[in-house]
Amino acid sequence: MTEVRLNRLTKIYAGGKPAVDSISLTIPTGQFVSLLGPSGCGKTTTLKMLAGFEEVTRGEIAFDGQDMVRVPAEDRDIGMVFQNYALFPHMTVFQNLAFGLEMRRIGKAEIARRVGETLEMVQLSHLADRYPAQLSGGQQQRVAIGRALVIEPRILLLDEPLANLDAKLREEMRVFIRDLQKRVGITTIYVTHDQAEAMTMSDLVVVMFDGRIAQAGAPAEIYERPKSATVAGFVGQVNLIEAALDPASPGAAKTPFGPVPVQVPPVGDSVTLALRPEAIDIAPAGAGPGTAATVESLQYSGAIVDYVLRFADGSRASVKTIPRHRFETGQEVSLSVDPARFWQLGREY
Amino acid sequence: MIMGRTVLNLYCLLVYAFLLAPIFVVVGASFNAGEFLTFPPQGLSFRWYVTFFHNEVFLRAIVTSLWIASVATVFSVVIGTMAAIYYVHFAGRRKEMIRVAALSPLLLPEILTAIALLFFLYDIGIGTKTMFGLLVGHVLLTLPFVFMNVSASLEGYDTDWSMAARSLGARPFTRFRRIVLPLIKPGLIGGALFSFVISFDVFTISLLLKSIGTATLPIQLFDYLKTNYTPEAAAVSTLSIVATVSVVVIVEKVVGLKVHKF
Repeated sequence: MTEVRLNRLTKIYAGGKPAVDSISLTIPTGQFVSLLGPSGCGKTTTLKMLAGFEEVTRGEIAFDGQDMVRVPAEDRDIGMVFQNYALFPHMTVFQNLAFGLEMRRIGKAEIARRVGETLEMVQLSHLADRYPAQLSGGQQQRVAIGRALVIEPRILLLDEPLANLDAKLREEMRVFIRDLQKRVGITTIYVTHDQAEAMTMSDLVVVMFDGRIAQAGAPAEIYERPKSATVAGFVGQVNLIEAALDPASPGAAKTPFGPVPVQVPPVGDSVTLALRPEAIDIAPAGAGPGTAATVESLQYSGAIVDYVLRFADGSRASVKTIPRHRFETGQEVSLSVDPARFWQLGREY
Repeated sequence: MIMGRTVLNLYCLLVYAFLLAPIFVVVGASFNAGEFLTFPPQGLSFRWYVTFFHNEVFLRAIVTSLWIASVATVFSVVIGTMAAIYYVHFAGRRKEMIRVAALSPLLLPEILTAIALLFFLYDIGIGTKTMFGLLVGHVLLTLPFVFMNVSASLEGYDTDWSMAARSLGARPFTRFRRIVLPLIKPGLIGGALFSFVISFDVFTISLLLKSIGTATLPIQLFDYLKTNYTPEAAAVSTLSIVATVSVVVIVEKVVGLKVHKF
């Protein structure tokens, strides 16, 4: 099992600005880490540098303290799963899995045993003699994972492996991959632009923008205590409230929901507060103390309802709630928020 | 519908008849019992085949042609495959330039290539005393066919396959042998067949670049027909058609032209 450490890792393509800009990160043994960000944020380039497919401009990559930058990809002992699976089309499922073991000069009987075990693990024993083109997308995906794991690599890298699957299968595969990873206990780095994938699967989520790490932390930390508005917005819907500081009561900011205590001494005369739409409670007007607002629009999607509400001063807020009470467009409602649910954002990364 | 299909079938039949008729004439004329090359043949006989098998000049020409076609094909396949791999995966902005360069022997009139090569070979002091110049000419002419076929099959090659093989521990040569080669095999064999058949058939280049005393089959046939007009020429042609078709069939049976299951 392997601890992965990146130190000021940088990739600069000829004549461009850095694709990956001095990122440092330590991934403890056996953890599942997601690199999350929009396309072009450098997450795939980082993965390719880890795999050895992309040269490192500056910085270090170490597995258990052992420098990897100058080790060629074929000697890094890495399991890699590609977005389009990249299964060898002229080989059967068995031969695809056996390939990596043959490269390691392992005996025929041992290969058969290990491939058999791995096929069982990815639930494909019955398809060993099929060619990739004869398999469904989900099956091909499992072959790709099996082929990466059968060599018992030091780390497992996955590059948007679920992007080509349909929605239902994607959710099944999330659970499948996570379970498998826990069972094998392998250090895993998973690249995705899908925040739901990153949140549900990872021990650690690394949010990247413009080649830099905007924030790294546990899924709940990223969601509930985002460092910046960009991070907050990327991992879910968020109400950003630009709140003026109240000179009358120091240490508090004025919001449509009343004064909110400010934790960190702010710079300037206002702070940006984040408030998740599901943190706002919505009740019929006059049902108790609260902030008055009008329902501007709503979107019913079964388990939840999304409301857009307008305050008297013209500002808006999104509210997500279970449809216990239904409110109609134009209806007056009363909103209340636990002040602890406000989160003060810092400067952008 | 049925009417339309009948017309189409008839049309296809006529096109094939037009293309293949000369071959049938040649094959028919080769069984001529008479002294002259005529069609329809005057009586049936194998006498001209017998004559041919006793004609050492023709036999030597066939051996020369087969030898040159084989050697030229080997060189064309190696160089053309390397060029195609560079062209598809590494050429970048130079892609178009490489393509035009590789295909230029097809675009230029053969006689121009032949004359240019002739001058060049004499200028660098090699001349046409050996078969070297002739081989260079044949490689040059057959190269585009290997290049086109191999690069076509490489266009369907996903470079992620190479990366996957790399991450599994395969070094460059192993990657080529185990992954690239099997996947471009159809294009490679197709290109090699084209190369062999074209080289066997080429006339102009051979006429200008052949060394004194050597003659390929087309040259020998031409020389023969200048002074003789017997059905022996038709017999030689028929045999070379049989030889060409056999090569294609044997390769198909032994190596297989079929694409792998994708």
